[in-house]
Amino acid sequence: MSNAPHILVIDDEPQILRAMRTILTEKQFRVTVANRGEEGLALAAANEPDLIILDLGLPDLDGVEVCTRLREWTQIPIIVLSVRDSERDKVAALDRGADDYLTKPFGIEELLARVRVALRHSARTQGTQSKVVKAGPLTIDLAWHTVKRGEEDVKLTGTEYKLLAYLAANHGRVLTHQGILTRVWGEADADHTEYLRVYIRQLRKKLEADPERPQYILTEPGIGYRFIADE
Amino acid sequence: MNSANMQSSSFLSHFWQYLLAFILIASVTAVFFTLRNILDTTLIALLYLVPLGIITALWGLGPGITSALITFLTLNYFFIEPHYTFVVHRPADIVILAVFLMVAVVISQLMGRAQAGLAAATAREREATRLYELSTALTGLNHDQAIAQILAKQIHAVAESECVELTGTGAHSFAYRLPETSKPTRPPELIVPIQAARGVLGEIRLWRAAPAISSSERQLFQTFASQGALALERAWLAQAESRARVLEESDQLKSALLSSVSHELRTPLSTIKAAASSLREKEVSWDSPARDDLIAAIDDEADHLNMLVGNLLDMSRIESGALKPKREWNILSEIVGGVLARMKNLSTTHQLEFDVPESLPLVPVDYVQMEQVFTNLISNSLKYAPTDTVVCIRARVEAESVHVQVSNQGPQVPSEHLERIFDKFYRVTAADRVTGTGLGLSICKGIIEAHGGRIWAENVPDGLAFNFTVPLTWDGASPPQFSIEPE
Repeated sequence: MSNAPHILVIDDEPQILRAMRTILTEKQFRVTVANRGEEGLALAAANEPDLIILDLGLPDLDGVEVCTRLREWTQIPIIVLSVRDSERDKVAALDRGADDYLTKPFGIEELLARVRVALRHSARTQGTQSKVVKAGPLTIDLAWHTVKRGEEDVKLTGTEYKLLAYLAANHGRVLTHQGILTRVWGEADADHTEYLRVYIRQLRKKLEADPERPQYILTEPGIGYRFIADE
Repeated sequence: MNSANMQSSSFLSHFWQYLLAFILIASVTAVFFTLRNILDTTLIALLYLVPLGIITALWGLGPGITSALITFLTLNYFFIEPHYTFVVHRPADIVILAVFLMVAVVISQLMGRAQAGLAAATAREREATRLYELSTALTGLNHDQAIAQILAKQIHAVAESECVELTGTGAHSFAYRLPETSKPTRPPELIVPIQAARGVLGEIRLWRAAPAISSSERQLFQTFASQGALALERAWLAQAESRARVLEESDQLKSALLSSVSHELRTPLSTIKAAASSLREKEVSWDSPARDDLIAAIDDEADHLNMLVGNLLDMSRIESGALKPKREWNILSEIVGGVLARMKNLSTTHQLEFDVPESLPLVPVDYVQMEQVFTNLISNSLKYAPTDTVVCIRARVEAESVHVQVSNQGPQVPSEHLERIFDKFYRVTAADRVTGTGLGLSICKGIIEAHGGRIWAENVPDGLAFNFTVPLTWDGASPPQFSIEPE
């Protein structure tokens, strides 16, 4: 039981805390809860949990601020919770170092999927990173810079490969437009979402069975993109 | 400068009138002179009355009387013996001359008076026309500034003034000047208050150094001012009325909203409550298939509730004008694809035709809001169109816009309802048959209009089509085009 991952939930709504505690405990996680931002920061420093679930609408501290302050000293994965139509806040939190987000109300399977991805990613960054990402018929070899669809080599341009490699290396996690643009095109082009749109369409045409209904490169409306790999 | 010109021109025309009168008399005299031996003096005197009449009729009393006197002298000099003197010998000739002079003067006066009467009537008519023009121009204006503009323009045109300025006082904040660029530094020649029942609403200032403003003009401008006052008063009342109406409507809207919302929210809540409590009471055994149904019902209805609340939020945002699209250059098919991927039921109940050409340029839209538009239009189509029919999504470039059509093979809408289906809470069919707040389409309208586009519905041969356009330009910029680098 002591090996079980430890999750800190910071949210000001008692019903949510109660539900999260019940569900996560049921799923064999250790759970600590906080209903204030300051309290959450203190608990995070004292307990060093494996994952933090953070509500962006806290009464005492801005959730984005909590993210920033956590990132000053730790790389513990953070999943932010927020209501619909607060894309701006979500993007701000993600750009300040949050790992993923969930929009309230969310299904529990969604929550668990995000938790799994975040824990796996943090394990990956600590240990050795796997060099080959598989997604359905796709095999992306990050060491050899090759992409295969089944047995066939997929020809990508330099930028296309750079984009795909960044998405695949972070599979399961949401990546913001600005984050991707900065990483693939550079700081100067961070606002040119149209580059991203066009290149994503190119990638989908080369990789997806039905580019209009992608299975691997998913759009996160108003936020960014997420690459879905095999578990 | 203008008025100086005018004066000289009127002087010139007077001069010409006298000159022409003189020339006419002279030429008539020349004709009569050659016929002197055939015509009798009395007849000549009689014939002279013809040009006199014409002169008075054409040029008025002054030239008329002058011509009468000249003719009198000419008659005496050329036609009454002894010729070439002003001496008169025969008593009969004295009578002729006396009678001629009298008749000539009387005719001139009568004609002149008739003409002056005619001129006055014309002036009155012109004044009436101006007033009519003014009041026509003022009808239907509901803004102080617009009224001030019209009033200033009319006064400026009628007075041929150097400058006209209108300013409002108190609640009326209009200010307008013609010409707009500059005004004379000296005090205005005429100030007319705009006086209404509620008090003075403002004033008209008029600059015209020459000719001096006559009392009839002063009166005319006072009439103009009171017309302006009436228009301002009317506008004020109309605004007050429309404010009252908006308040009343928003009140009605609120009650409609509350009743619709409480009904709509209670339906899924009832389902959730019933399902959850029966699961809790263990009335349903753990392995019964009914258990799964109940759990699925709770899940679905929770989603439904979430959608309703989202719609309400969107609507209130649209109503308060807080819905500002966060525009980016987007690919339309990506947006539609995302929506379709999320509508998992779609493929099981309806057939889908997707016709968005690859060559479509990037469109400057808010991704999330556009998703909302497609979600609402498609789910509306799914709700009303029978199962297994075709739902078609089509997009084309038209002029400077992209035109999108979502059509279905559902029931047509009577043409008188086609506009109104985008109104809040508006339903063509009986409210009980179909669920939803009746907000979906009005949210679409709000979003499309916030993007500077247009949305409408039309009946197509086999069903109903929703259409919308969004401009392809963004702050004057056309869609960016860049080529993908070579492999």
